[in-house]
Amino acid sequence: MNEPTGSMHEASGRMTFEAAQEWLLARARDAGLAIEVLGQSNRELTLAAQNGSLEQVTEAERAGIGIRLVDGEGRAGYAYTEDLGVEALAWALAEARENAGLLEPGDARIEPGRALGHSDSVGDGLAEPLAQKLETVLGFEEDLRADPRVRQVPIARYMEREARLSLASTGGARGSYRNGAAGLLSSLVMAEGESLKQGFEIALETDFHALDPGRTARTAIAATGRLLGARPLPSGRYTAWFEPRVFAQLLSAFSGLFSGKQVLEGKSRLAGRLGQRIAGEAFTLIDDPTLPGRIGSRPFDAEGRPAAPLTLVDRGQLRAFLHNAETARALGQPNSGHAWRSYRGPLDVAPSNLYVPAGPGLQPATGVIVTDLMGLHAGANPISGDFSLQALGLELRGGELAAPVENFAVSGNFLDLLQRIVGLGDTLEWHFMGACVGAPMVEVDGLSFAGA
Amino acid sequence: MLVSPELAGQVLAAARAGGADFAEIYAERWKRRQLRTVDRRVKEATSGIERGAGLRLFYGLDVVYAYTNDLSATSLLALTERLCQLRGRLGRVDASGGGGLDFRPRRASGRHAPAQPFDSRDKATRLAWLHEADAGARVAPEIAQVEARLTEWEQDMLVANSEGVWAEDARVWTRLHVNAIASDAGELQTGSAAPGLTMGLELMERHPPREVGREAGLQAMTNLRAVPAPAGPMPVVIGNRFGGVIFHEALGHLLETTSVAKNASVLSGKLGQTVASPCVTYIDDGTLPHAWGSTELDDEGAPTERTVLIQDGVLKQYMVDKLGGLKTGYRPTGSGRRQNYTLAPTSRMRNTFIAPGDTPKEALFEGIDFGLYAKSMGGGQVKPGSGEYNFAVREGYLIRKGRVAEPVRGAMLLGKGPDSIRKIVAVSDDLENAPGMCGSLSGSIPVEVGQPHLLVSEIVVGGEAA
Repeated sequence: MNEPTGSMHEASGRMTFEAAQEWLLARARDAGLAIEVLGQSNRELTLAAQNGSLEQVTEAERAGIGIRLVDGEGRAGYAYTEDLGVEALAWALAEARENAGLLEPGDARIEPGRALGHSDSVGDGLAEPLAQKLETVLGFEEDLRADPRVRQVPIARYMEREARLSLASTGGARGSYRNGAAGLLSSLVMAEGESLKQGFEIALETDFHALDPGRTARTAIAATGRLLGARPLPSGRYTAWFEPRVFAQLLSAFSGLFSGKQVLEGKSRLAGRLGQRIAGEAFTLIDDPTLPGRIGSRPFDAEGRPAAPLTLVDRGQLRAFLHNAETARALGQPNSGHAWRSYRGPLDVAPSNLYVPAGPGLQPATGVIVTDLMGLHAGANPISGDFSLQALGLELRGGELAAPVENFAVSGNFLDLLQRIVGLGDTLEWHFMGACVGAPMVEVDGLSFAGA
Repeated sequence: MLVSPELAGQVLAAARAGGADFAEIYAERWKRRQLRTVDRRVKEATSGIERGAGLRLFYGLDVVYAYTNDLSATSLLALTERLCQLRGRLGRVDASGGGGLDFRPRRASGRHAPAQPFDSRDKATRLAWLHEADAGARVAPEIAQVEARLTEWEQDMLVANSEGVWAEDARVWTRLHVNAIASDAGELQTGSAAPGLTMGLELMERHPPREVGREAGLQAMTNLRAVPAPAGPMPVVIGNRFGGVIFHEALGHLLETTSVAKNASVLSGKLGQTVASPCVTYIDDGTLPHAWGSTELDDEGAPTERTVLIQDGVLKQYMVDKLGGLKTGYRPTGSGRRQNYTLAPTSRMRNTFIAPGDTPKEALFEGIDFGLYAKSMGGGQVKPGSGEYNFAVREGYLIRKGRVAEPVRGAMLLGKGPDSIRKIVAVSDDLENAPGMCGSLSGSIPVEVGQPHLLVSEIVVGGEAA
């Protein structure tokens, strides 16, 4: 346990982070209001390389305070500010109160809390000197250009993010934690004859020393290069093998189906299906905020509830939804400790480290390995579960690679796809896509592919 | 004032003394409010202040950027020094430069100023508007849920640079979103409508909430009755308004110097060449009064302008920001934009649309034996290096024997932009724009997309029907 390290500067009469939190709590108590103040302070370093030199550097700090206020009639209102002057803090408190007044009386609460300690999962993991990070990104960019088929390297970046979250409420919750990650991000354009393919790769670790630029570059080149010379795929139904990253993308796009808040708002087609079989028996889904060394790990959630693992789907059977105190109470289900909010937004629920445990292994025979999915933000409907996504892949016949394939769409419904899962690969891979998501390769029977 | 001219001058002079060829300070303060109802109940009421500054230094064509929430002199000068040191460790610091700055103040004239500022109405009035939108969306008993959301943004921005630019703008955006869900026998389908303009609460007069709700409700009902879309290549009529998103993604992004300068765009180095069908004229206009993507000054302090990108199929201009101009030699077009102080500006679209043609809308459908009418579009995505794009059809119909036939759902259009833009065979005369949020290197920013109805001779349609 470390003492919290305030990262705000005290200058020109502006309050520090902690002082602003205390000022708001005191004001709220005086007015007989229950509030929860969530403070976040984020640090960023990005180094972008281009043709052997450092093209762009970003160094930054951003911090703010978000108020969740519950008035005497159980109504929750929100306001936030990045300006920690007294005037802005008073404005935020007044707005939060006025906003709460727009709601109908409800049963929102600030949960009774306790001291949660101050933890640090970064330690010295990002503390290497800048020169070493610079060397890393320049080496990475050079490695990305190593293959003669690489025509452009539009993106070659080292990035580092560090966040400190601090929570304090009139209910007695008080604690903070610090986490962070370092990563390599790349985009490649490769060409062979008339064929042109662009790939994206991201590798993220909680410790700078765990990054392996050479390996990440080789992976990026191999992943994009294998698709050169792709030909159109005839329309039809195929057995599909989703590569781990692609399945993680799909899971991330549809993770709202498992959100207690979406269930409560009538936006999940899994509502009312607890205990039912919703997926192939091979499929288990877990969210675990306690995994050591994972990007999504945290000691407590945004309402101050200590973290614990949760099995959402057990061998095909729906067992639980992700909940915060409010959604759990409304649905009469256990609070899983998945409250989430940023200082700028309202209380929600969110996964931490969401993953499909690996299975016994796969032997792809005849069908298509899906290697890339595009258009998830538009072509996937998180409410209906319908998706129709542009894909790239590798066609297999009798276990042998027939050809890379392009310009086709994979369509279906995510819930239907879950039912058609027939097998899992034996290696779990973690990917970061807004959330931390893990999956092995996933075999799905009879998917509709629309191509030439 | 966010940052005084004295402090800005000190910061910029310090940066120049630290060896930067160009220095820019950007400061802003946002006030944002959002009110959201689901089935008439308020689900979210949020207010917030965002405030910060970004400091950008050029060393040749290399860029160093930093941002902070702390606008005090101590903080900004320390940040400047840290950036110079950072660069010093990485490159060569030149101790020359510096000196006083003589700013030339440029203030927006108020072309997009609100007629009804946010403080002119109370929150109860806003709630009543959302209730009207909710009522308007309930066009049939199958409408199971209606979500209505009012978003208000106010931004005061200031940008000053070492070339003497001092620009200030006050900007206001208002947007009403309505999402309707229709449900029948376990089937859920959605419809939406979301007008937004750079104006105040007079948006509610331009777009009465009840009508906005009705549009969303009708679309959800159409989708509920729709059958799965067919798959395969076919002629496609793309609707006006948000239909313009296809060429925003597949063409517009390829004309930003962000892509062009790196030769990462398939349209790099093609000025003066025929890149589109001769019936295509493509324009990016940041000056349209009150349009969602308009500002008087861009985020680098330059006045926005109307930029003709493609004239009758021939590539005329790219969209150029300051850095893009230095890299390519093209004249900046007032296209430097950013989401907020946390991101350095880059070349971005504003209000981008295909100009009207002279084919009557009905004539577009006449020769089509079997095809798709993509009446309303969802979002999309493009890889600028290969031109591959995809996007979802939010409301679509089959075209059979020259007529609009049954509705279809789940359709996706996919292809390669430079290929599709050559396959536009006819453009009608009903140009309309629609607002959206565009995400790219400098973040998520408001833009309009638009076009008249137009016919593309062949696009691959992804759909579920065998």
